[in-house]
Amino acid sequence: MDAFAGRWPGATRSTTSMRRNPSAAWRHVDLILLGTVLAISIIGTLMVFSATRGSDPDTIDTGTLQRHLVFLLTGGTAMALVAMVDYRRFRDWALIAYAGVCALLLGVLSPLGTEVNGSQAWFQIGGFQLQPSELTKIAVILVLASLGAQFGGDIDLRRLVLLLAVPGLPLALILIQPDPGTAMVVVAITMGVLLVSGIRAKHIAALTLFGLTGLVLVLNSGLLEDYQKSRLTVFLNPSAGLREEAYNLNQSKIAIGSGGVLGKGIFEGTQTQLDIVPEQHTDFIFTAVGEELGFLGAATLLILFGILCWRIWRIAQLSRDQLGLLLCVGVLTMIVFQMFQNAGMTMGIMPITGIPLPLVSHGGSSTIALFAGLGLVQSVHMRRFS
Amino acid sequence: MTNAESPRYRLAVLAIVVLALFAALFARLWYLQILSSEPLLEAAEANRIRPIQVEAPRGRILDRNGEVLVDNRVSTVVTVDRVLFNELDDDESADMINRLAAEMSRYGSPATVEDLVDRINDQRYSQYAPVPVAEDVREELKIYVEEHSELFPSVAVERTAVRRYTFGTRGAHVIGYVGEIGDTELEDRAGKPKTYERGDQIGKTGVERIYEDDLRGMPGQTVYEVDAQGRPVRVLEDLSKPPIPGDDVWLTIDVTTQSVAEDLLKEALEGARNRRPSGDNPKNEAPGGSVVVTDPRDGSVLAMASYPTYDPADFVNGISSSRYAFLTDEANHDPLTNRAIQGQYAPGSTFKLISGYAALSNGLREAATPFFDTGSWTLENCEGQCTFTNAGEKKYGTVDLQRAVTVSSDAYFYSVGEDFWNARGRLGDEAFQESAQLFGFDQETGVPLPFEQDGRIPTPEQRKVQYDANPGAFLERNWFTGDNVNMAIGQGDVAVTPLQLANAYATFANGGTRYAPNIASKITRGQSENTVKRTFEPRINGSIDLPPEYRDALLQGLVGVTSANGGTAFGTFQGFPLTEFPVAGKTGTAQVNGKADTAVFAAFGPATDPQYQVAVILEESGFGGTAAAPVARKLFDQFAGVTPPPELRPGGDLVYPEIVADQPTQEDLARVGSSD
Repeated sequence: MDAFAGRWPGATRSTTSMRRNPSAAWRHVDLILLGTVLAISIIGTLMVFSATRGSDPDTIDTGTLQRHLVFLLTGGTAMALVAMVDYRRFRDWALIAYAGVCALLLGVLSPLGTEVNGSQAWFQIGGFQLQPSELTKIAVILVLASLGAQFGGDIDLRRLVLLLAVPGLPLALILIQPDPGTAMVVVAITMGVLLVSGIRAKHIAALTLFGLTGLVLVLNSGLLEDYQKSRLTVFLNPSAGLREEAYNLNQSKIAIGSGGVLGKGIFEGTQTQLDIVPEQHTDFIFTAVGEELGFLGAATLLILFGILCWRIWRIAQLSRDQLGLLLCVGVLTMIVFQMFQNAGMTMGIMPITGIPLPLVSHGGSSTIALFAGLGLVQSVHMRRFS
Repeated sequence: MTNAESPRYRLAVLAIVVLALFAALFARLWYLQILSSEPLLEAAEANRIRPIQVEAPRGRILDRNGEVLVDNRVSTVVTVDRVLFNELDDDESADMINRLAAEMSRYGSPATVEDLVDRINDQRYSQYAPVPVAEDVREELKIYVEEHSELFPSVAVERTAVRRYTFGTRGAHVIGYVGEIGDTELEDRAGKPKTYERGDQIGKTGVERIYEDDLRGMPGQTVYEVDAQGRPVRVLEDLSKPPIPGDDVWLTIDVTTQSVAEDLLKEALEGARNRRPSGDNPKNEAPGGSVVVTDPRDGSVLAMASYPTYDPADFVNGISSSRYAFLTDEANHDPLTNRAIQGQYAPGSTFKLISGYAALSNGLREAATPFFDTGSWTLENCEGQCTFTNAGEKKYGTVDLQRAVTVSSDAYFYSVGEDFWNARGRLGDEAFQESAQLFGFDQETGVPLPFEQDGRIPTPEQRKVQYDANPGAFLERNWFTGDNVNMAIGQGDVAVTPLQLANAYATFANGGTRYAPNIASKITRGQSENTVKRTFEPRINGSIDLPPEYRDALLQGLVGVTSANGGTAFGTFQGFPLTEFPVAGKTGTAQVNGKADTAVFAAFGPATDPQYQVAVILEESGFGGTAAAPVARKLFDQFAGVTPPPELRPGGDLVYPEIVADQPTQEDLARVGSSD
């Protein structure tokens, strides 16, 4: 019953005891949210293992699995740490965090950073890579939510410009790497927070127009390499894309479609086990789900994401203040956009970009950032009465 | 704060957007996994599965007693993949060729750089398959090349099963040769259970071609699961299947008889060559000929020799273009041609058996009716050339049919020819020709060998058609009495194949049953000699009514040829035990415009119970009695047990010209290309 105590604020025993007990906030952890996160992480772990165990039955490779478990543990710890802190205190730290990630983003562009797959996006630290752009998402959420809460729903043009300028700087730095996928996530977060924080309808219209024009200009300018453009547009017309991009997309669709209703069974997906789909344990992990677990598994995963979103959305509603609400909205948009973009990409309805599937894809920085975001959400939930 | 500005309202908008996105994902997932699952599953299977055809060993070819004529052996072949070779830069390829030539020479397959380059550039080889640059190299070379594969880019040393001809050239024309499958053959055989791939071997001629479907094994399949780079990950055992060896073909040929026939044929032609039988004849060229031995009791072929011959082993691993050019050059008298079924010759006097039968069966003669042979015959009511003389202008005096056959009286049969034409009102224009057709002339014998020729029995109607089609090529449009007269002694436009001649005599010999000759008796399963897949029963193609009043006189006439004083082969059969083993035969000496005569002899024995039918035709070799009949005599020596069977030895030692250059001309290439 305690798990659901939060749903009945009139139940006096829990509310009173919580106020007296310093650790009482823990009693308001959203266990459904926590359980969903755990369930998605388990599916993700299985699929990452399946995609990386190798095709040789005699020597099963568990290296990636071990790393993945380390990431999950780190992420879980980060989530707990963040949740322990009252989210309102992050308002004071938001600018510091923001300044920190901007510095990191600048640093990664310097020779200190490492280039992988054409993006200067990583710091190599021992055996691990730190991807500052992933942390940027959380910092942007913090700053935007703080500003949005401060503006109290009244956003005139001057405030709007400020709200756009804040994510604009890291966005520009991310585009220089270039990492268009993460940049798109930052844009989506900004849009989500702006929408809920009270942006005016005419500003929405103007921004939409501006954004679309910008997109067309960028696509037609010489700013993007051919392969980048091809990745972004191949899903619209697979036969017109560059060969490799079209091939990857096609194999991705084949993997998912060939799973059918029940899937080929875990470790039995041929596209997965034979490494036919590229980048499968990271960006294309959804294909492993589709192929090996079938429609039942993939739909279950989507439903779990649905529950996750519903819980975050609900916590946004329950939040006692605008800050908590906007924090939740930021995390929600981040997860929804990443999930939609990632799964949509593997199924050929979204452009190909390097965005991980939240909680499923293998990736350290991304996992930690996500769990931190979920920690924020839990913190809002836990302190909705205080 | 208005409703539109309340966070609650805006959260609802956000929820709707999120729900829409989820709906889109579900819809797409449904489309891919439920609606399009089947084709995508197929695509996924195609991704991972690479079936590799594994050639099955080809079936063997055995003689009637189980002597293996053709089987398979392993040949270690050095190949160069042209695609990979052309990707090398000049230095790399030069180094590699130098190294390969040196190593090949070191390991007992001497080769020069030029040899290798020529072979690699030889356009005769398929674009797709690696080019064989050396065959039958030593195993040590294979090991060396494989252990130093980085030094030999594009080179592979592979073991392949190739045909082995136990008896060398023996029966080459019957057996035929195999070669790489051509484009049209590949198309024709699409969908057959025994699948073919480019580069596979297929029977091109002879038994190899006719029984291809039996001889070819069922190719097996090794199915590999491959990764994204196409690298094999493992073998899918449940989808793979081992190759099944091809079935064995048992011929009716007896390899001993075949060998004797081939040796005698060669010997006879060499003996006749460059002689001049009589002053008014051109010199014998004796370029080629054929000997056929069949069993008149069931039509099976015991021996079928054709000269000149070739070595089917030349085609193993691909024949060189110079060798192929030699074999197809007319100047070399077409060694690839099986003269027994493709050579068409005037039968000369051997045709008199048919003329005699035709005269009797059409009521133009009775066997006993005497005829006075003055050495020539003059036609009645005739203009132009009306007198036809006997060969050698001999005069035989009073002869009946039997004696006319024995001494080969032309005059007797001239008169028969004339009578046929004079009686055409009653018998029809083609009564004579119809008799010839009853004996199987003017049509394929039906022997299961490819490219058999029809021969020709000319008719008045045919003459008209041919003339009208090409007036320049023929002297006359009309048929004259003289045409019948010529036909009666197997001249004019009459043409027969050696097998047709043998089969016609065999039909007479066995009492009138015309068989379609068989070349194979049975087919047994490749895995076990004792499992018979099918047998070939004698096939009856027609029959002739041969009552004693027709047959006796003709038979006695034929027996007289070898046994009676004055018989045209009497001298040749001196010393043969004719009482125990009477031989019935007929000589023929067919005139050929501007060339020496074709020597012909057809005979069967024992005449009382015929078991062997022999036909001998020697091109430009002189008299039937002295050139062709001795070949038959020596064969009957074998059949009658007069001479012991020779020790079996492979045929061979073919005289080929020194190979000067291996560079094929454009013409050669066109010919090779169209040789399917």
